[in-house]
Amino acid sequence: MSLVTELILNADSEARYPAPKEIRIFQDFIRTGDQRIRIAAILAENEQRIVQNASAKFWERCPVTPSNSGNPRKTASCQRDQGWYVRLVAYCILAGSEKPLTEIGTVGIKEMYNSLEIPLRNLVEAMRCVKDEAVSLLNPEDAVEVAPYFDYIIRALS
Amino acid sequence: MNHNLESFVNRTLKSHGEMAMQDAITALINSSDVQGRYLDNSGVDKLRTYYQSGEMRARAAIAISANASPLVTQAVAKSLMYTDITAPGGNMYTCRRYAACIRDMDYFLRYATYAMLAGDVSILDERILNGLRETYNALGVPIGATIRAVQSMKEVTTDLIGAEAGKEMAVYFDYICTGLS
Repeated sequence: MSLVTELILNADSEARYPAPKEIRIFQDFIRTGDQRIRIAAILAENEQRIVQNASAKFWERCPVTPSNSGNPRKTASCQRDQGWYVRLVAYCILAGSEKPLTEIGTVGIKEMYNSLEIPLRNLVEAMRCVKDEAVSLLNPEDAVEVAPYFDYIIRALS
Repeated sequence: MNHNLESFVNRTLKSHGEMAMQDAITALINSSDVQGRYLDNSGVDKLRTYYQSGEMRARAAIAISANASPLVTQAVAKSLMYTDITAPGGNMYTCRRYAACIRDMDYFLRYATYAMLAGDVSILDERILNGLRETYNALGVPIGATIRAVQSMKEVTTDLIGAEAGKEMAVYFDYICTGLS
């Protein structure tokens, strides 16, 4: 779901046209389209780098963790998941809403990682490192768009 | 159905992803996500086009919402009012049926406006067209006359919002007509 769908469904639930305030939110959103496309492109191009650098930092802070256990399959799947979260954040930027994260990646997140026996506290730390790496690639104006979505993932894990 | 069971089934359907309304953005995101990819170049181009057309969409929605009721009146006047359908024996004879008809035209206009804002037809399928033809047939509502009225609404809406936005609205009015026929 995006900001656009959200406001349409809101209006529809009251059987009315979008209100002036909603149209203004829509206009503000589409006016930042170029910025959104730019941010998503930076995240896409640098996903591997973000994940690799974040892992290195994470293992320093948290050496005893499945992704650093010497089992390459575990390392690969943890890093793959972190890359997926970077991608979902890019979707959120394009959609102007955290709904893509919710729908694809945060509903059920605790249950899933608990059942995979991944320590959530470590995952939170790993996600903080991913956030820091992603934000470090962006100018301040773009960084404030991206950071809240990583915080949203971290909150869903805590 | 037992209420608890119903809500359980609804939740289950939702958690396994039933079809839901899409817009130009989520359509691209959803098709990228099933492949685990970022948007490709053609997706980004489509997205850029949508963002760039957003101002036009917003203005059209403002104009339509400010004029919804006269648009319906004009469309009905143009297509239905002076035909046999409003005379005794016609499907719009009696105030009750006349009111039901303009209410439906109101819906069509509002949902076409939603779809135009979204840049995607899926809300029309989901909220309007799903089962509509069967309902109209069961109620004896003539499909041909309904389509003529929607086409008139397309014309009067284009007169209001101009050719460029009118062309975009036409996509969704025509989609309703195709779905009905």
